[in-house]
Amino acid sequence: MNTINMVLCGLGGQGILFMTKVLAQLALDKGYNVMGAETHGMAQRGGSVVSHLRLGNVQGSLVRTHEAPLLLALEENEGYRNLPFLAKGGRLYVNTASPLFPREDVRSFLAKKEIIPRSVPAGRIALDLGAPMSSNLALLGFFSAFEDDPFDYETMRQTIGKISPDRFRDMNLSIYDAGYQEGKKG
Amino acid sequence: MKKEEILLGNGAIALGLLEAGCQVVTSYPGTPSSEILPEVIRLIKSENLNTYVEWSTNEKVALDNAFAASITGKRAACCMKQVGLNVAADSLMSAAYLGTVGGLVIISCDDPGPHSSQTEQDTRFMARLAKVPVLDPSNPEEARKMVGLAMELSEEFRVPVILRPAIRVCHARQNIVYDSLPANPKKSAFEKDPSRWAATPRFRLILHGELNKKLKEIGKKFDTLTPYNFHSLEAGRKYPLGIIAGGVPYAVIRDILEEEKRTDLPVLKLGTPYPFPEALASEFMGACDKVLVIEETDTLIEYLLRDRNKVLGRLSEHVPLEGEMVPQVIYGLLDRTLRELNLQGFEGEKDTEAMELVKGLQLPVRKPTLCPGCPHRAAFFAIRKTRPKAIFTSDIGCYTLGMNLGAVDTCLDMGAGITMASGFYHAFTQDGVDQPIVATIGDSTFYHSGTAGLLNAVYNGSRFILVILDNLTTAMTGMQPSPSMGIRADGSEGRAISLERIVAGCGVDFIEVLDPYDIKKMTDVLKKAAEYIKEPEGGIAVIIARHPCLIAYRAEAIPEKKKVMVTDDCAECNFCVDRFECPAIYHDQELGRTNINPQLCSSCGVCIQICPKGAIVEVA
Repeated sequence: MNTINMVLCGLGGQGILFMTKVLAQLALDKGYNVMGAETHGMAQRGGSVVSHLRLGNVQGSLVRTHEAPLLLALEENEGYRNLPFLAKGGRLYVNTASPLFPREDVRSFLAKKEIIPRSVPAGRIALDLGAPMSSNLALLGFFSAFEDDPFDYETMRQTIGKISPDRFRDMNLSIYDAGYQEGKKG
Repeated sequence: MKKEEILLGNGAIALGLLEAGCQVVTSYPGTPSSEILPEVIRLIKSENLNTYVEWSTNEKVALDNAFAASITGKRAACCMKQVGLNVAADSLMSAAYLGTVGGLVIISCDDPGPHSSQTEQDTRFMARLAKVPVLDPSNPEEARKMVGLAMELSEEFRVPVILRPAIRVCHARQNIVYDSLPANPKKSAFEKDPSRWAATPRFRLILHGELNKKLKEIGKKFDTLTPYNFHSLEAGRKYPLGIIAGGVPYAVIRDILEEEKRTDLPVLKLGTPYPFPEALASEFMGACDKVLVIEETDTLIEYLLRDRNKVLGRLSEHVPLEGEMVPQVIYGLLDRTLRELNLQGFEGEKDTEAMELVKGLQLPVRKPTLCPGCPHRAAFFAIRKTRPKAIFTSDIGCYTLGMNLGAVDTCLDMGAGITMASGFYHAFTQDGVDQPIVATIGDSTFYHSGTAGLLNAVYNGSRFILVILDNLTTAMTGMQPSPSMGIRADGSEGRAISLERIVAGCGVDFIEVLDPYDIKKMTDVLKKAAEYIKEPEGGIAVIIARHPCLIAYRAEAIPEKKKVMVTDDCAECNFCVDRFECPAIYHDQELGRTNINPQLCSSCGVCIQICPKGAIVEVA
């Protein structure tokens, strides 16, 4: 299996660690070795939070710049901040409701690097379903609509069901599904 | 029964401790070490083990406790962050001489970056200073195995052993397979031997000699400890450049060389850099014209290599002297060094276009802030408002972020909120200058190292206001209980230690306890305190500002929620945004005035008290 590198980012409190946990568990269930790096401590108090995830036989937990085909951002500016990690031809998934995404001054860079930017109003989807803190699940659903194995919709759904606490399970799955539907629409 | 779990590095370390039959684990929380003890507790509960655990009041206390357990023959461990080892240094230096009976492992977690520490200090140098072996894992799985190795070494050679995981080990996640954990039935037995356990200087000289002998033997053992120290030389081949690495940089280098398919660059991995595996290093040096040393965070291996003419690293400016050895930094420096030596460089992408693009985007700077509703914010607001000309000495914890409110001027080390206040007092008083000083310190930090400073300040006649910010938890490191509540590490009931009684016991006569959410009360008491410290019979005034942390206590922390709004009376003076600095209060560009973000607002209602125009009101 080739190594899959990904970077997940956003702000403290947006649920990046849970999103990373879903993807890591999913990969493990599919037979990958998993290595990841998280942000804890001082940096978590409202600051930028980044999580690195590496699937495959690797030794180190951090993704090198230019090496991630996948970048998931729960906040638009944090997505831009982590652009250096994206590989040529990579996919950028961003939670934003802005019709101007991606901002004008990054477009030529994205085109040159053949990066596909996709955005989804994950925050709004989660809010509409009554769980404003769960934009992470809407983004995951949206992401699964464009990706194949190992990040296919059905298996990821099972993983979310498995690791969600009982009282949040149904809500998490409905937000995940709504994100997926949004992706399929586009 | 075998299980596979994705564990945090700190979880893997906890697993390693219990797999090694560790019976006593003590710790003081600090990033990046804080999760080790909770993970130990999770495992002992799920496996029904009777391992003793405690959050100790500080790192020295933790190490002394673990040391005592060790000399009863039990395996013991003590976990802390790297600067915590400074606090425990007194214990460590002496314990190295006395030696151990049961294995004693000190886990000191480094923070290159630094991400959440006051220094980037390298624990391996503390090991060298104390003359104890140090192990430097590259990832969680290796850290887990090294814990077992450390226990064995400690028992075999009767010396404490340090495990030094860096933050990228502690906060890495990796899938780990493990079996059920063994119960260690070893009973405590203390054999009296005052010439060792209470050694006087005459005996210390003998013990020092013993320690030196042990180190020599351990160094030899490290020469052939192949799972942790090994090289990839082909017999008889000579190389223009070899790489020597340990810890996290080794993992990064392995990945890079594999991606670049570079079998022409031999690597010497040193997982146990001290005592130095001399023979192994000489063998490697002998086959290479130059060696590039890449280690975290300082220059231990680089200093210990004998053939100075061959060594490239930090001293030759091939490796940065500060900052974390992240993959792109290692990739860049390796590529540059290869090209400098006229060797083939790397083939992967190296352009910095994206970095430059990001720099030009003027993205918002995300500085850490106190949470919405944080009681510290209310306290700092009142302090700054009442004593605007004061020097604000502070301490280590969430409340260091009070600097965003202009109410923190200094942060030196644990306990220095108090000791620097007394230092300032004497320095200014010597000149006849009446300089107001307000010190702040959190509850957990006060229990950790506040009392010695407070005793000293009272004894030596300092005068200042000390505000103990008591949020009834150790918040910054992840809500570990502090002695104020009397809840112990495993959730069981302990004995609560009253801050008021400690402060009174230190000889302080002015003690007021209040809820900082009541800003009027807080400012009144601050004024009273300011008068008290000037009275002839006055001294240090202590205010205990007590309100539970919102993250730790959630709904309980705000019994009366007050939903707030901004009225048309808002004069757009921005006073609330600048001086109160609540993440939920912002300048709304569309409205053209201040507004409240309902998703962030905790409904604490404190801001109602701070608007000069009274424009922040409770929603009817």
